[in-house]
Amino acid sequence: MTNPYAERQISHSVENMAEKDAEIGFKKETVSKLLSSSFKEDKTRLSGDAALLMAELLKVFVQEAAVRSQKQAESEDCDQVDIEHFEKILPQLLLDF
Amino acid sequence: MSVDKDETQQRLKAAVHYTVGRLCQRMGEDHRREFSRQVIAAIAETAFRQCDVFAKDLEAFARHAKRSTVSSEDVKLVARRSTALSIYIQNKSEELNQEQRDLKKKNAGKRKSRDTEESRE
Repeated sequence: MTNPYAERQISHSVENMAEKDAEIGFKKETVSKLLSSSFKEDKTRLSGDAALLMAELLKVFVQEAAVRSQKQAESEDCDQVDIEHFEKILPQLLLDF
Repeated sequence: MSVDKDETQQRLKAAVHYTVGRLCQRMGEDHRREFSRQVIAAIAETAFRQCDVFAKDLEAFARHAKRSTVSSEDVKLVARRSTALSIYIQNKSEELNQEQRDLKKKNAGKRKSRDTEESRE
């Protein structure tokens, strides 16, 4: 059921990750607070490792959103990425995650 | 009470927006196609909302496994829809485990040498 187009795209994002973007990312504490605020039960906690992994996941999500928007802008011959480009790729992005 | 909660949410949103902005700036430079402010805000908002979806899934997975603490296993499940993403998260998880194993070995080594010194006295 996986979308092969999405597969290729996310793997592209993931491969390029290691090289340059090691520095910028979500802080463990921010991610922890963010996710915890959505838990329905008070007793639900997030392990340290899970928080770190979710920070990585979020980063990939943002990078996917960004790169797909850029590709959309490129396909429309636009120099800048505008809201219409993002709106067009949003449905598939949400389905792929 | 709910005012504090809103404040916390606003601060979290701002933190997300900040990181998204930096990531987008980097990517804009790399691919020489920059993002309008509106797009950055939209991506940040989307990421923020997606966290709610992730959190609820994570909680459900943990509860299904009869745990109250969300673990890396739950995160791996959340990442299941894309093979590349799934593999990436699994590798990151392995990296974390390896770091912890190395740290344990390091500390065990320290303790051993401390013990032998004490027994000599």
